[in-house]
Amino acid sequence: MKARVSYILSKLLEFILTLLLVSLLTFAAFSIIPGDTASAILGPDATPEQLAILREKLGLNVPLYQRYLSWLGGAFTGNLGESTAFGVPVSELIASRLPVTLGLSAIALVIVIVIAYPSAILSSRKPGKTLDQVFSVFGHISFAIPQFVLSLIVILLCSTVFNYFQVGKYVEPSKDFLAYINCLLLPAFCVSVPKIAMTFKFLRASILAEKGSDYVRTSKSRGLSDIKIMFKHILPNSTVSVITALSVVLADLLGGSLVVEQVFNLPGLGRLLIQAISRRDFPLLSGIVFYLATMMVILYFVTDILISIVDPRIKMGEGGQ
Amino acid sequence: MNSRKYNKTYFIVGALFLGIIVLSFILSLFGVGGDPETTSSATKLLAPSSSHIMGTDNLGRDLFARVLSASKYTLFISITGVLVSLTLGTIIGILAGYYGGWIDRVLMLLSNTIMCFPGILLALVAVAVWGPSLFNVIWALGIVFSPSFARVYRTEVIKVKNKEYILNAKILGVSSLRIMAIHIFPNVFTQIIPAVVIGLANMTLFESAMSYLGLGVQPPKASYGKILADAQSYIRVAPWLVIFPAIMLVIYILGLYFISEGIRGDQ
Amino acid sequence: MHTFETFTNNILEIKDLSLNFKGNNPDTLILNHLSFSIREGEILGLIGNSGCGKSMTALSITGLLKSDAQIKSGSIIFNNQDLLKLNDKEKRAIRGKEIGMIFQEPYTALDPLMNIYHNLEEVLIEHETLSKTERHDLIVKMLDRVGFTNSEEILNRFPHELSGGQRQRVLIAGAALLKPKLLIADEPTSSLDTVTSCSIMKLIKSLCDELNMSVLFISHDLSTVGNFCDRVLVMRTGEIVDSGSSFDILFNPKDAYTADLLTKSKFDPKVLNLTFNTPDKDAEPVIKVSNLCAGYMDRKGFKRVYKNILEDISFNMLPGEVVGLIGSSGCGKTTLTRALSGLINPKSGTISTPAGRLAVVFQDPGTCLNPSYSVYWHLAEAIRAAKINMTKEELKAKATDTLVSVGLEPMHLDRYPSQLSGGQRQRVAIAMCLMLNPAIIIADEPLSSLDTTSGARILSILSSINREFNTSILLISHNLRIVKATTSRVLVMNEGKIVESGNTQDVLTNPQSDTTKELLDAEITLHKNFSTDRLAIE
Repeated sequence: MKARVSYILSKLLEFILTLLLVSLLTFAAFSIIPGDTASAILGPDATPEQLAILREKLGLNVPLYQRYLSWLGGAFTGNLGESTAFGVPVSELIASRLPVTLGLSAIALVIVIVIAYPSAILSSRKPGKTLDQVFSVFGHISFAIPQFVLSLIVILLCSTVFNYFQVGKYVEPSKDFLAYINCLLLPAFCVSVPKIAMTFKFLRASILAEKGSDYVRTSKSRGLSDIKIMFKHILPNSTVSVITALSVVLADLLGGSLVVEQVFNLPGLGRLLIQAISRRDFPLLSGIVFYLATMMVILYFVTDILISIVDPRIKMGEGGQ
Repeated sequence: MNSRKYNKTYFIVGALFLGIIVLSFILSLFGVGGDPETTSSATKLLAPSSSHIMGTDNLGRDLFARVLSASKYTLFISITGVLVSLTLGTIIGILAGYYGGWIDRVLMLLSNTIMCFPGILLALVAVAVWGPSLFNVIWALGIVFSPSFARVYRTEVIKVKNKEYILNAKILGVSSLRIMAIHIFPNVFTQIIPAVVIGLANMTLFESAMSYLGLGVQPPKASYGKILADAQSYIRVAPWLVIFPAIMLVIYILGLYFISEGIRGDQ
Repeated sequence: MHTFETFTNNILEIKDLSLNFKGNNPDTLILNHLSFSIREGEILGLIGNSGCGKSMTALSITGLLKSDAQIKSGSIIFNNQDLLKLNDKEKRAIRGKEIGMIFQEPYTALDPLMNIYHNLEEVLIEHETLSKTERHDLIVKMLDRVGFTNSEEILNRFPHELSGGQRQRVLIAGAALLKPKLLIADEPTSSLDTVTSCSIMKLIKSLCDELNMSVLFISHDLSTVGNFCDRVLVMRTGEIVDSGSSFDILFNPKDAYTADLLTKSKFDPKVLNLTFNTPDKDAEPVIKVSNLCAGYMDRKGFKRVYKNILEDISFNMLPGEVVGLIGSSGCGKTTLTRALSGLINPKSGTISTPAGRLAVVFQDPGTCLNPSYSVYWHLAEAIRAAKINMTKEELKAKATDTLVSVGLEPMHLDRYPSQLSGGQRQRVAIAMCLMLNPAIIIADEPLSSLDTTSGARILSILSSINREFNTSILLISHNLRIVKATTSRVLVMNEGKIVESGNTQDVLTNPQSDTTKELLDAEITLHKNFSTDRLAIE
């Protein structure tokens, strides 16, 4: 018990340090721009007056460390200033787009788990046999199709062959939750496909490894059936060994969502990001980057804690991401 | 025995797929298919025919020539990008794994932090801030991917560093630098090869997505992502504009995956 | 000891059992028309080298064969039914209830995510309908029976919190919970140290008597089996080549193969030509260790605490002296090697080697050489590391000489570790030490991973090095027979301290400390009828 508490404390310390580093990196990326932030935003045609006004507005006239501290303070209180392109507070903009991106990633994760687990279990029943080979080849192919290419293919098919899904439609979750899920389903599928393959591969390998382990043999010698052994011993153990990989999968799903939104024309963070980049809206950009990265830091932290709860072997200084 | 043959098949098919991309790179060097950047209003959106094997795009450019020349950027960016991240990852991973302690903690904290930014986001931001040039795309992707190599190295080095032959080298008085470079490195490098191949594939995935979003290779140069982005508006009238570059892109990545699978099977 | 008359019924009868792998040559059977039976209440030993088919026999009985193994002929009669003719469900009803099984690796044989209670409970859930309290009581009772004094507490522990011996006890408890008629024990003590092995063997024997359970005891170690089994079968390439009461097998082996197995595991100094230099008592010691304390930094929460392993170790070694170091696993032998060789810094105390270099030969022939380089590179690297200037020709000549002196040939210089056998690799490691003419060699369990023949070869090489170069040798071993055969002086370690030291013969015949007595007791119980001189004492 004491070991677990100190494990969690050390992970908490790591979490805080990582968060600080993330903020430092984000801030640095937008502050050590070649030339000057204001002229980078306004472009070469800006007049000196315009530049001076923007500098004042962005607080560029105070020393760097003071700017960092006030930015950091703002970041943790949800006040990241105003978007230069939209004229609205950055946090408000991000909050309004979050449901699309998070919803997309969450649905994609559900799809990944629902498909990867059963197929990995089936595939590992008789490794090397037809079913396993078919699954593996399918896995490789879906691994190799970029998410945005898959989206294009799906759009192509939907617009010509099927007419069920309406591409590019979006309904807010507060208005009609089912319709919201419905319009995210197809993009989420495109986000998830390569990651299904990845999760399948990890899981299959880990199930096969656990199948050959000594404790499985012990259970067999006690008369347990294969199905009982699979659910009682093998799946919990393989899940522990792929849980870290699953958190990386979720991170990839989030990254993939940013791109796929763009193809399906969904008003999520990805599109906001592209808009912010093309309009050189640095306050907005740094906000998006910081909050997305913070979500990942939290995700990895939660994963660590989850592992320490499930796996009694975790001690200080072991395990981790 | 069965699985041995199976892995060999993977390797051969993968090599064939890669061969296609390398071949199109060589063909593009000899200017086969004509100039990829010549526009012509007379040949807009033509379907594949004998004069334009893959058809033409909305500006009348020959798609075959563009697809061939795109292989150049895909190969160049993925290979140099992997070299950058491999170099960084090797140094970080071996140092962290060998020394352990606070060096390990600091280096791993840094690389964990980089891994907390969704990869594509970091690359996009770097390009957004520093400008979308080929050079920026490469170092941005190089940094984004270095932690994954560092991790593989670190795990492998930790496995090797307490083996008896390393302990014996220490007892004999071999210097730390020599132990890392001469005694450890050759034994961990073979473990990294599958990761290198997968890295090439992932690098291509990222590069194409960035180009698709307009932040990778800049027009009028052709890259698969950019061709696909341009094609999206004509997807109903000219589906070949999507199909051919998509197939090429998938063939390259699939070839790499198959090869990595083939290598893994041999070990 | 039981007499044969008390056995009346056969509990298990194997008739004409043949087995082969799919795709194997049909003429080379893994089990070749095997027939034997186990009597009620007896312990039957099944001996043979790896690959002789003894584990396959066990797996055939329990029906746990992998899918690529095919039974070609025969029957296994248990409880008047042929186990080979049962369907999957009927087989499972027998496994765990009528036939229990324990295996070699206690470290990995329990599910790491479950506590001991849940690990043991499943066998009761599978075969009986009991209430939760009944299950709990049964398990506690059985844990008490296998020797735990804190059974209630053990229930909530996780496997990684127990030692290897404790885990094997838990596994035995699991196998014996439903009082099976037959227990199959597949090398249950091979990965445990002598003292623990001895207690596990005693436990199995007493359970067998108490529950009137028959035991099929599988092992590669003839000497261990002899003292615990009523009868012994010797197996070789799928056939039984010798059988009889254990006394007959140990003293009147009918078969040449059995006789060969017996001689090789005895480590008789005369047979192996092990003679050593007599050290000069007045000479300056080659190594002086005084009041050595060492350990490593451990993390306890956020605090870094120094965990002391070695406490106040002091000893000297004379030039040409061969000293043995014995102790159970975890006594600090490994840490001592590391401290002496400078891999860890001592916390206090001094180690001085006035006469020159110290070299180490490690335990594991699998990792003692760098797989990326040739034998020549290894030998040359020793010279490079010591910054000795030598021309290429000199280096080559020296490497060749050294290689020859450990019984290898010049052609081995260009070989890679993967092309050498375990014993040959171990010899290259010794050659690496010799390149620098060390004054002292620490040999850390150099034989424990080698088969008897290669082990005997290593001992002969060490003895010839000692004779030729007057090199001192510190031989760390858990095998008392080896220590007795090779060393003139012995140190006994326990919990990081040297608890006894002195003339090997005196210490081993008249032990003073509890640790030595315990080690010796275990050795005698395990191998009582084995080593010839021991027999004379009794």
